[in-house]
Amino acid sequence: MKLRVRGTTYEGRAVDLRCRDVRGETVAAAVRGERSQPAVDAPTAGPVYDYCGHVHPGMGLRTKTALAAAARSRGHETAYDDAIAELRDQLADLDRAEPSLPRARDPVDDATVADLRESAAEVRGRLAARETLGAETAPIEERVRETARTLAERETERAAAEESRRQRRDRAREYRDRQARRRRLADRLANRRRDARRELLDRIEEPFAAALAAVPGWPADSRPDDPFDATPVPAALAILRLASTDAPVVLETDRFPSPAAAADWLGAPLVRC
Amino acid sequence: MVGPTPAIIAVLANKILIRSALTFLPVLLVVTYTREARRDLRNVCRAHEECVVRQFGRAALLSATEFGAFQALRLREKHGLDVQLERVRPFEPDDVPAHVREAARAYESRETASTPYRQFAAGRDLPTTDRLRGEEL
Repeated sequence: MKLRVRGTTYEGRAVDLRCRDVRGETVAAAVRGERSQPAVDAPTAGPVYDYCGHVHPGMGLRTKTALAAAARSRGHETAYDDAIAELRDQLADLDRAEPSLPRARDPVDDATVADLRESAAEVRGRLAARETLGAETAPIEERVRETARTLAERETERAAAEESRRQRRDRAREYRDRQARRRRLADRLANRRRDARRELLDRIEEPFAAALAAVPGWPADSRPDDPFDATPVPAALAILRLASTDAPVVLETDRFPSPAAAADWLGAPLVRC
Repeated sequence: MVGPTPAIIAVLANKILIRSALTFLPVLLVVTYTREARRDLRNVCRAHEECVVRQFGRAALLSATEFGAFQALRLREKHGLDVQLERVRPFEPDDVPAHVREAARAYESRETASTPYRQFAAGRDLPTTDRLRGEEL
């Protein structure tokens, strides 16, 4: 690991920054790649780092989740991993985009079309009557054409409105079918992940209890019966001891005689802040 | 003078109106397809109980008033197609032809639970599933 704090470069497996005015969370953020200063040259932080990368008295910890990540970092696999990968692929393949719907058109009601049909029939009747009588037909022919045109326009509008409504409903339904499918897949994925986590925890519970027992500076009377009830700092230390962590851990606790001793105990590169 | 006074008639008419409104008016169905839309639907139902006919997990029936529609449209504006809106009509057994009701009654009182309907209907004077499927209500 190489670390550069305001002009000074630190190098080695354990770096002591206690005499420097730099906050632990700043260094941890730099290790995670969330900020460029201080410049850190070290392996990329894995999932365990998100939970236990910065150990300090005010920290919170999702012990079981972090422990499952630690088991993964040691290469543990579960019987559910194939199913998890498959479900993730299926979820990723689902199109998330909301479809664009055709414009909603003003509906043309049946009464309007019926009225127009009636008046079209009526003018045609009057035309026929005039032809029979041998009277002049030119003005009434114009009326016939006009009513026929209006009727055709309204019928076209109505058909277009119906078609648009049908398409809007069809596309919305396809999209919602997809959403429902996504929800089922997400539920199944969440269940498989829970199964996998349980299997990982079963496998790592004993080593975790052993690591907890070895945490220094932790009086026996403050240790809980259930290892999963351990307070965040000892739990995080035990998890880091189990995990394979290449990225430098940021430590803000006085439990170890020296940064080097802490790095040895945790089995991880370390920055003491 | 024979018959109820006008005031009594008015009360009766009022009662009948309310009854028929409940029995025959359509309601609005709102179905949500994301967690966010579901949360907002729950909030709407909590804040405007008077327009909620029934609430389910991720769906609700709202009264078919302009206010019910207003609340439904707010959800639609905010969540787009993740909110589905439908108008549904009340449905009573009497709305269905007698042979369908009888088929349902007979099949549900069958002696062997594992008998499929197709087989159950075969020896009896009951409609086939294909016939039922082919008939719109």
